Amino acid sequence: MQQLLRTEWLKMKDYAAFKILGILFLAGVLLSNYIGWKSVQSFNDNVSTPGISSVFRPYAFDYTWQSTSWVSGLLLIIPAMLIIILVTNEFSFKTNRQNIIDGWSRAQFINVKIVIAAIFALISTVMVIITALLFGLISGDDFSLDKFENVFYFLLKAFTYNMVGLLFSVLIRRTGFAIGIFFIYLGAENLISQLLNVWSIYLRNTKDIDLGSLGDYLPMNASDGLLSFPDNPLKSMARAAMPSDYTMLVLGFAVAYILLFIWWSRKKIMNSDL
Amino acid sequence: MTILSVDKLAKNYGAIKALKEVSFSVPKGAVFGILGPNGSGKTTLLGIVMSILKASGGTYKLFNEEPTDEHRKKIGTLLETPNFYHYLSAVQNLKITAAIKGRGEEDIERVLQMVNLLQRKNSAFSTYSLGMKQRLAIAAALLGNPDVLVFDEPTNGLDPVGIAEIRTLIKELAQQGKTIIMASHLLDEVEKVCSHVAILKQGNLVASGHVDEIFVHDDIVEISASDMIGLQSAANNLPGLLKISPIDGKLQLFFPMGTANLEQINSHCFSNGIVLNHLQVKRKSLESKFFELTNS
Repeated sequence: MQQLLRTEWLKMKDYAAFKILGILFLAGVLLSNYIGWKSVQSFNDNVSTPGISSVFRPYAFDYTWQSTSWVSGLLLIIPAMLIIILVTNEFSFKTNRQNIIDGWSRAQFINVKIVIAAIFALISTVMVIITALLFGLISGDDFSLDKFENVFYFLLKAFTYNMVGLLFSVLIRRTGFAIGIFFIYLGAENLISQLLNVWSIYLRNTKDIDLGSLGDYLPMNASDGLLSFPDNPLKSMARAAMPSDYTMLVLGFAVAYILLFIWWSRKKIMNSDL
Repeated sequence: MTILSVDKLAKNYGAIKALKEVSFSVPKGAVFGILGPNGSGKTTLLGIVMSILKASGGTYKLFNEEPTDEHRKKIGTLLETPNFYHYLSAVQNLKITAAIKGRGEEDIERVLQMVNLLQRKNSAFSTYSLGMKQRLAIAAALLGNPDVLVFDEPTNGLDPVGIAEIRTLIKELAQQGKTIIMASHLLDEVEKVCSHVAILKQGNLVASGHVDEIFVHDDIVEISASDMIGLQSAANNLPGLLKISPIDGKLQLFFPMGTANLEQINSHCFSNGIVLNHLQVKRKSLESKFFELTNS
């Protein structure tokens, strides 16, 4: 695997899109959380009511793990797009064929891409940890690892996004189409998820059927649903309407979807003509 | 030793049979031409052997063994088009090839020299002309000095000088004892370079064997006289004659390869009272031989 990764690195390291999107994402995590931190600070500075500022401090420990993960999660389309570009490049340059001709197995070709998707997710997560620490320490409270599970949810979400990108690339093969359909799918799934969530509330309130937030069981919303911004009023309302805790179920769905995407993209590469 | 043997290899694309139970084998040290018109299944066949296409039936062996990934690492292959990362230079691309093949990078300069690309080695692949891309693909195949080379239409996109250079290179490689499998739709190319040939037509194997056996051709002599009827009866008695066929108001006489004797024909006709007004050796064109093999 080390040799495969070294080869993938040779493909990436001098690629302008890799450098630009990589820097854009890493800087974006820092910047978007800085904006979040700064706006909360200026909000607290301008509110004279005593007590508020000590209540709403999303970047102080231990909330910083949750806030940073949630805010950074909004940027995960960038590494997913990078995955799509890198993988569809192989199809448009026909280098997927050449890699096999030169002696890689099909399994090696797809496995190393899956590992790359995981590595991108890990690097994103490390960046989130650094950023969360930074703003947590600036905020001046005592270090704490409570709510650190949100960082794990972020990792899951990042891996899901990258795997959806990889799967779409393998199925669609064309860069423009794959990126377009990725965005359309994101939008469509969000819409359907909102509708399902409304229906879930309706079911619970009128029929007394509690299935949790059904929208959270969709592929990208499963890992999305695990992450929320502290004191998000909408989420709090939804949670109030759904007293049962479905976190473990949603977590199960998120992991199951990742496994499904891995299985599906491997199957496609292993069995079809290249 | 047999480098490649294919046994009843078949490939279907839906209802279309691109390859129909093709069998042949490539001996070590051969320059083996796979000849056929466009769409005859040459690239499909090599694609299956290179593991990028799944066969619908049949089997193949490499180096007398069941094929593995390691076998492909020992073969330098250019299949159909030059496939490289457009944003990388020749050297960066060849480093990737070397990494996949498990070979060192020290050979890169040598192969770029062999195909005259050393001066542009640091330019991005996307800036190359078609001919340069093709030469880079040949360089990639030569990387690590493999004993077996597979070239699919190696002179595609090259100018006449480039074509001559590549043919010379292939001959040199053959002289070094390398086994070369070359697909081409250019009969002339196959005849000039190859020792063995397999001819494909619409997925069928039409013929395969040594080039001299497959491309055996008769000597053809074209004659005419003002008395064509007398000429025909006189010509019928010519010793060693295989057949006569009238074409465009002339007669074509067929003799076994290397036996036609113009002097003898002329004196034979004259002694039978016929004065020839036309006497010419016509070597059958390779193209007509090709058409004969792949059509009628």
